Formats: sequence, structure tokens, C-alpha cells
Amino acid sequence: MKIIVAIKQVPERDAQVRIDSSGKWIDESGLQWALNESDAYALEEALQQKEKNGGEVIVLTAGPERVGPTIREALAKGADRAIHIDCDDLASRDALGVARLLAAAIQPESPDLILTGLQSEDLGLGQTGVIVAELLGLPHATLILQVEKTGTGIKVKRELEEGWFQSVELPTPAVLTIQSGGNKLRYATLMGIKRAKTKDVRRVTAAELAVDAAPVVVLDRIALPQKQKTTQMLPGTPKEAAATLVEKLKFEARVL
Amino acid sequence: MNPLALTLASPQHFSILEKLLLALLTLTSAALFWRRFGVVLDKILKSKKDAGFSLRPLGRRVGDFVWEVMLQAKVIRQRPLAGLAHAFVFWGFCAFALVTLNHFAAGFGLGFLSPDGLFGHCYFSFAAVFALACAIGILGLFIRRFLVRPKWLGKKLSYESGFIAFLIFLLMATYLAAFFLPETSPALRTLWWIHTLAILTFLPIIPHTKHLHLLLSPATVFLSRGGFSRIPALDGDEDFGLVAGTDLTRLVTLQAYSCVECGRCTEHCPAANTAKLLNPKEVILNLRGYLNTLGPASDRPLIESLAAPQVPFQCTTCGACEFQCPVGIEHLPILVGLRRGAVNTGAWDDDYGSKLFLALERGSNPLGMPATDRDKFIEKAALPLFDGTQEYCLWLGCMGAYDPQGRQIVTDLARILNYLGISYGVLRKEKCTGDAARRLGNDLLFQQLAESNLEALAQSKVKKMLSICPHCVRTIQEDWKEYGVPPAIEHHSEFIARHLHRLPSEGAGGFNPLKSQDEKSRALAPEAGSPQPPSTATSPEGFVTGHDFSRAETAAQLTGALAPATAPPVLETIVYHDPCYLGRYRNIYEEPRAVVRATGHLVEAPRSHERSFCCGAGGGLTFLGEETGERVSHVRTAELVATGATTIATACPFCNSMFRDALADKGDTAPQLLDIAQLTARNLPGKIEKQA
Repeated sequence: MKIIVAIKQVPERDAQVRIDSSGKWIDESGLQWALNESDAYALEEALQQKEKNGGEVIVLTAGPERVGPTIREALAKGADRAIHIDCDDLASRDALGVARLLAAAIQPESPDLILTGLQSEDLGLGQTGVIVAELLGLPHATLILQVEKTGTGIKVKRELEEGWFQSVELPTPAVLTIQSGGNKLRYATLMGIKRAKTKDVRRVTAAELAVDAAPVVVLDRIALPQKQKTTQMLPGTPKEAAATLVEKLKFEARVL
Repeated sequence: MNPLALTLASPQHFSILEKLLLALLTLTSAALFWRRFGVVLDKILKSKKDAGFSLRPLGRRVGDFVWEVMLQAKVIRQRPLAGLAHAFVFWGFCAFALVTLNHFAAGFGLGFLSPDGLFGHCYFSFAAVFALACAIGILGLFIRRFLVRPKWLGKKLSYESGFIAFLIFLLMATYLAAFFLPETSPALRTLWWIHTLAILTFLPIIPHTKHLHLLLSPATVFLSRGGFSRIPALDGDEDFGLVAGTDLTRLVTLQAYSCVECGRCTEHCPAANTAKLLNPKEVILNLRGYLNTLGPASDRPLIESLAAPQVPFQCTTCGACEFQCPVGIEHLPILVGLRRGAVNTGAWDDDYGSKLFLALERGSNPLGMPATDRDKFIEKAALPLFDGTQEYCLWLGCMGAYDPQGRQIVTDLARILNYLGISYGVLRKEKCTGDAARRLGNDLLFQQLAESNLEALAQSKVKKMLSICPHCVRTIQEDWKEYGVPPAIEHHSEFIARHLHRLPSEGAGGFNPLKSQDEKSRALAPEAGSPQPPSTATSPEGFVTGHDFSRAETAAQLTGALAPATAPPVLETIVYHDPCYLGRYRNIYEEPRAVVRATGHLVEAPRSHERSFCCGAGGGLTFLGEETGERVSHVRTAELVATGATTIATACPFCNSMFRDALADKGDTAPQLLDIAQLTARNLPGKIEKQA
């Protein structure tokens, strides 16, 4: 099975983000970058499929020079080769624009399966994967926890609300957006990094792919969340405090 | 005994037939010896060369050799009775080298030492004294092995050891007996032959048994990497640690063949003593078994020669084995090497291990906490940020930055620094030193953490560092050297001990006249909340079970609340636990004790100083979930509690957290648990205004 995993480099989870002067994006200077979490699970699923059924895993990403280490990390974890869409203006493209880039790079590879994380940790739109499927004219399924190869295609487990799951069968090729937590992630190893050095990373520029870059959705502004302090101290003995807590969790927070 | 009596070396006349027989037997013995020893030597030389090996500094090597081999100091110091017996046998052998050479030369009529000459006479008498000592020594060792039988020698009786002991005894007895025989006695010739045959039997046995250590261990001690638990740098792109035979270096092979199977390593091993699978002696012997059957060119996985793949991962890297080993085996590079082989290739599949590595990859601290928690702590404790003008960079470490008890220790150390008026600052950002990654064999992760930290420290122009954590201190000072030049760092025990004369004390110096009772109670009062009656604070209901944080907070309150009740007139008894990474790794034993003595009456645990028993946290094990067998921390805690001390003093935040958990089920009777910084800070007057 030939699998393409579309991944995205996002600011590290603990990064202190500041809004830049335009008010439309974050200040990228001095930021640490990491692989988007659900993309890490998409990669893990692809690697496990390869281990079970053989084939090839190709990672695909769009971004500027700085995505290099993230590509190498994916190769170190076991991907066979990579395609890097060199693109400095990712933030100014909307989900459709990014999906057009990805789809254009995927098309000539004609893979059996295209995996990506269900949403990115920076923008959190959750649309890119689905639009890629639409652009390529392929069936897709979202929020996937498990993938199983069948005689004719694949069978996947989708996560629904409130602890419900749905089982869906699809023909291949197909596009899946992967939910975090379905697998155990592997750690990067020294051997993986050393082997990754010799793996092929093909670079194409956004211009070479010649896709429409004009956004249909325009970002107006971004803002940091308002700080809310709603800590309550519960008085009394531990027993009384616990009773009050249970009451509050039941009737105020409604989580019990 | 007539001092001029003949010795075995007296000119004796042997017939041609006897000389031929002697020549034949000697050649046979030498051939049998070489048939095995040649193979061992070949395996050592065919092993991979040790990258970066250098005989320099030669002084250190000569020093180790004289101390450990010639003087037998380690053997005697760590096991005086058996050690002395062994030293007698060793010195006897040394003294006998010349005698034996002359013995064979005499057989061919070429004797060069005459008992009639002054030197010969003196030397034979001198050797006789050693022969006597050696005979007594070997008898003692025989009794120990076959009658006393300490359990770490293993269940199986080694008959070859008995036979060797008999041969050595025979050698000495025949040598001594000759002094008492008249010149004409035909028995003299018989004794000569018995002595000769004993030597010729002994020679081929040496390389076939653990007595190979006679020949190899002096070289092993001399050639050792030096330092303690020194993990060698990986060599080139295809080196991932100890994966297969081809990864065994000459030093490792030499060490495997040097093992004398004395079992000191296993006797002191926290894993072996708490029913784990790891037995360091078995690891070395299995390695030797692998070399015997497969050899250093084999690509079969080394891990297969061990009982189970998890064996190396049960090591707390406490270093007791390496410290105790009398023949120079460096167990830690081997055990960590096996871990490297498994982790660097991705073969190690452990849920906790993967979680730990991913937490370090993503969040750069092993506790999996958001880095913003560290920022909040710095803000709350009003710790000044390091800006290059202060004397010290106070390295928080992950425990100091994220663990509630670790934070208490840091806060108290900051109070001490403030009191002393010594300037310090903390880094805005800090990553884990990579201690756990290093010990668990994840070289990629360790390198990333070390390099990133080194860069940050260089950018901040840090010159001197101070840390509450012996693991940070060791990793920064020794392990980071592989990737750069770390700033000087010291442990807070060294720092506080150096400034003790300027700090108020409670111990040997008695009641501090500078301090009024009022001031003292203020200093002892808990920082937050009102003092609770001890019964409430320590009652089990007071704890929220299964939740570390609340427990730690309760313990922290306890510290303050209980202290006035247990304060003098009677000095409080404090038992100090030596952290492995401070004691064996850094050779710091007396500084923390001086700090403890300044605050109370120091008592010692049965196992202390270089024999201290691990808390169970080291080597990344604190992050690897539930242990099999007994918990190391519980064994050690029980030992510390049994001293009857009212306080357990620690000098490592990991030890502290292990004991904290182990003490949790002791309820009211639990001694209090304090770091040496907390002990010291208790005596500080009032609360000092924090630096801005």
C-alpha cells in the first residue's frame, strides 16, 4: 500500500505566542516548532499499516525552510521519503489554498491512501484533509481511530460524540483524517535519524505547482483568549468540602 | 628450623630422564595454558577498538594500579577479612614469582638463586614468610567458600575453586616443609616434584577458570576508562550501543573475561536485592558466555544472551556494582550500553519509556508538565531571573521546577542565598539535562537536550551554577562534555557546607545565641496557613490518597507545623541518606553531613557512604512505572526508619520523592522528611525579603 501522510509544522505546544504587528498572525521569531499532534498519529497509523501490509510511506508538507527538522523527524520515525512544498506564505493561504497545494503534489504519486491529522493545532480548521479529498475526487472519512485493510478497500473506526463509534467501509484510494490517541506513538531513535540522512526529500516550490493562491476565506484578526479567574475555595472540613464539590460538579458544572 | 637448612631450591641433581620428563611436562602444561589463554587473548584483540582510548593521563592509571592491585586496597577496604586473606595470597604469589622461576631453572641445573648466598638466603626466608601468610590466607578463603558460604557466591559450589585452593596450599606447604628436612632426605626430591607438579597443574587451570583474573585483572584495572560510570561516546554512524558481538569493545571483552565471580556487584545491587531479574554478575558472565560461544564477530543480538530483554532496564544506575568490583569491571557502561542498543534502534518497547521520551521530545521535561508551570513557580516564589550580573545561575532542574517538594527545596535554598547575600538568578527557560535519556540509552534525545541547554547557557553567559539535584550536577558536569564545555556546577550540599560558618546552626554549636526564641519560632512557623495540631496533619484521612501533590503539600505543612514541637532542648536525631549520584558518583560524603550536624544529631544508616543503598529512582526508573518484586524505595525507607531517627535528611529531590511515597503509609509514626536545604533554612531568622 502506498500511503501519503500530509503533516504540518506548528508552534511547540508550550510556546509563548505573541500576536504580530499586523494582528493577523503570530510573531514567528524565536518560536520553537513541532509536528502537529494529530499528524503524528496519522504518521503512526501509516507506519503501522506499512509494517502490517508492506508498501511505502511518503510524508508531504508545505512550509518554509524551517520545516526541515520536522520532515527529518518523520523520516527518522520510519517514513521512506518526503515531498517538501517550499512555501513562505502559508499563513496567507486559506484551507482551500493549502489543500490545492497538497492535492497538486499528491496527484502524480497516485497513492492508495492519504492520511492527515484531523486538524492543526494552530488554526484548528479541520478542513484541509476533507478539501484534498474533494479536489482529488476521492472518498474520505474523518476522526479515524483505527484502519483495517479489507479485500476490497479499508474498514475504519470513526469517533463520534459521547463515546460512540462508527464503523465505515471505504474503497481505496481514500482520504482519512486521523484523530489523536488511536495508537501509541513511537519515539525517535538515533538509528532512525542516521538512516533518515540518506532518505530522499524532494522539493517543489509552490510556484511550480501552479495552483490558485487567492484565498476565499480572509482572516480578519486573531486574539489571545481572555483570562478568566473563576477559582473558588471550598470552606469546611475535607468531608464538607468534598460534599460541596460533588454538588457543584453535578449541578453547576454538570460533569457528573 | 635451622636457618641454613636446605630449601627446595638447593642444588639438586636430576637425571637426564628426569630433566626430559620435566621438559615434557612443562611444555605440555604451557601448551594447555596457551590453548585457552591464546583463545581469550584473540577474542579480546578481535573485539572492536575502543574509540578515543588513550593511556593518558598515565598518572591516574598508575595510581589506580598501585592502590587497587598492588596494595589490594579496594578488596581489603570493602571486605576486610576476606580481603586481607586475598591480599596475603596475592602478595604470596608476587613474592613467589622469583622463587618459582628459580625452581624450574634449578630443575634443569640452571638455578640462579643460591640459598647459600646472602641474597638467596634472605629472599628464600622472605618468601617463606609470605608462603606462610599465603597458606593461612587460602585456608581462610577455603573455609569461607565451602563452610561459611556467603549467599552472593551463588548456590552452586565451585569445586574448581576448592581444587585451586588445595593446589595453592600444597605449593606453600611443600615449600615450607623443605625447610624442616635434612639434606639427605629422599623426601626432599619428592617434595620438589610435588611442588613442580602442582605448578604445572595450576598453570593450565588459570585460563580455563575464573582464576584468569590473576592474569587479566591487573590489565583491566590499569586500562579502565576511569572516572565513574563513564559512558563512552558512540563511534561513527553505525554505532548504536551494545547491540551485537560486533559492538563489544576490547575493554568490554577484557572486563568480561576478568570477572572473578566474587558476587560483590550482586550483593550490593538494589535490583538483585529486591527480587528483580537483573543480577549484574550474571550479566557479565552471560556476556562472557556469548563471547565463548559466538565471539566478538557475531551479529546475534547480545540481549538474547540475557535472561530477558527488560533485564538492563531494571538497573537504577546506582553504581554500587561498579564501585565494589575488585577487578575493574565497569558495569554501568555495559548496562547502559545494552540499553542504548535497544533504545537507539527502537527495539525497546515500553509504554512508560515511550511516554517519557515523547514528553522529553515535546515538552523537554520528563514529568510531562507544561513549561508555563515553571514560569508560574518562578513568579510565585519571586526567584530573580539570571541576567549575567549575578554570581550563580540557580539551575532548577525538573524536580525543582515542577515537583511540589522540589520547589520547597529550591525556595529554601533561595532563602539561604538571600540570607548570605549571594546573588543568583534562574534561567527563563530550562530543558531537562537529559539524565533519564542518557541513562536509558536514548542518545538522540540526550544529545538534543544537552546541545540545546549548552547553547542557552552560553547565550546567558553563565559561569557558575548551583543545583539541588545530584543527577543534574553529574549530567551537566560529566555527560554534557561530549557536546561542549559546561559551566562549573556544584551541588547545594557543597555550597551550604562552605558557608556554614555564616549560617545559624542548631547542632554541634548548640543553641545559637544570636537568635532569640521569638525569632526562632517565627522562622519555624509555616509559610502558609496556620499550624495544625500534629494529629490532624498526619492522620491518614488528611491525605488525599493516590495524589502526589496533595500529599506533598500536606508534608510541606507538616514540616512547619511539627518543627516547633520537636525542636530542642533535646537535639533531633537525623539520619542522612547518601544519594548515589552525590556519593559514589561525585565522592561527596562529608559536606552534607556537616550541614546535617549543624542542625541536629546525625545518625548513620547501616548502609551509608559509598555503601549507601539506592532509593530506586535513578537510571530513569522513577518514570518507568511499577517495579516487579519488592520496591527498592520501601526497602531503603524501612532501613532509614529503623534507625529511630526523627528526621530523614535527603540531598536529592528524586530520593526525596521516593521516600515521600514510601513513608505515605506510615501515618503518625513516619519520621519527617527534609532536604538538607530545608534543615538549614529552618534556622534562618524570619522571612527574608526576596530579591526583586
